[in-house]
Amino acid sequence: MATRKDYTKLDDPALVKAAQRGDMRAFEELVARHRDKVYARAFSMMRNEEEATDVSQEAWVKGWQRLKQFQGESSFVTWMTRIVINLCLDQLRKHKRQRAESIELMEEESGGVERQMPTVTINPTEGLERSELRARIDRALNQLSYEHRTVLILHEFEDLEYKEIAKRMVCSIGTVMSRLFYARRKMANLMASYKREELS
Amino acid sequence: MNNELKLQLQAHFDGELSEREARRIAELIVADSEARALASELRMTKSFLTGNEPEAKLTESREFYWSKIERDILRSEAASAATLAESGFNWRRLFAPLTGLAAAVVLCLGALHFSDYALFSGSLRDLAEVENESEHMGSFSFRSDSGNMFVVWVYERAVDTEPEPEVQAIDNDLLF
Repeated sequence: MATRKDYTKLDDPALVKAAQRGDMRAFEELVARHRDKVYARAFSMMRNEEEATDVSQEAWVKGWQRLKQFQGESSFVTWMTRIVINLCLDQLRKHKRQRAESIELMEEESGGVERQMPTVTINPTEGLERSELRARIDRALNQLSYEHRTVLILHEFEDLEYKEIAKRMVCSIGTVMSRLFYARRKMANLMASYKREELS
Repeated sequence: MNNELKLQLQAHFDGELSEREARRIAELIVADSEARALASELRMTKSFLTGNEPEAKLTESREFYWSKIERDILRSEAASAATLAESGFNWRRLFAPLTGLAAAVVLCLGALHFSDYALFSGSLRDLAEVENESEHMGSFSFRSDSGNMFVVWVYERAVDTEPEPEVQAIDNDLLF
């Protein structure tokens, strides 16, 4: 019987093949390798550690159940990330039903709210170390509504096209464009405000 | 700049416009200072986001994190195995009436065959019992040429019926 050490020597495709044959230890190794990435995506969308942990674990269970459908068109971790994104979207939709639409979102949906935001002309991230830049991006993401944050994450970090985002978020391409535009403008303005905070 | 133009400007940066539309927006950026400023901000935002996604790490140990996943996988597999077994049982229940119907058709065909035979057998012309091999169904048929009718009784056999006390019943009848 193969030990855990043997599995660590195998690459992802070999582990996936073994897991597709029902080898749960191979799947455990895949989980160990990619759990942080899958969790990070869940956390970026959910903004809550406990929920992100639960959703990421649920994604791994779904991954195991659907493993036979994985044909290797993308990398295994990309495939897993798509699963966790879908679960997050389901979860966030449930949350949304439980709360009223934010005034900000309603104004943004009707168009033009970003007119009140000044255009940022000086790069607010200049001279920042990477860790500090990431921390500020994280802070700014936290201040966006889930609709704006999600569309930004799917476009900027997952490289999904408008059409694909619209499909996943069950909305029109026009809505995706307007949310993305607002989210970007808001991000630029938030980053500029953090820079001002730093200087004052 | 109206809202539609702003969204098209963004789509231009995201490579979502047709060649013709992209040319039009590129011309707008050159000609319009507001479009130029907005384009510059969009470019800057995209550049600081690219490759700088905030990182998050699980605080749970590998073993603890995996244990819940493993438990859920095993639970779901056990549940789906139970569902499969149950769905097999349902199929049998679904097929029971169909089996009955098939038995009735077989009986009718048998009865038709018997009616041909009855033309040559006067004593069996009017009344006959058609044997049925089904464990669950029983039947009798009755044919009357004079009444121009042919009747088949199909009945369900009770599974747990006690054996009939045939001889005893006859004897008792004779006593009265």
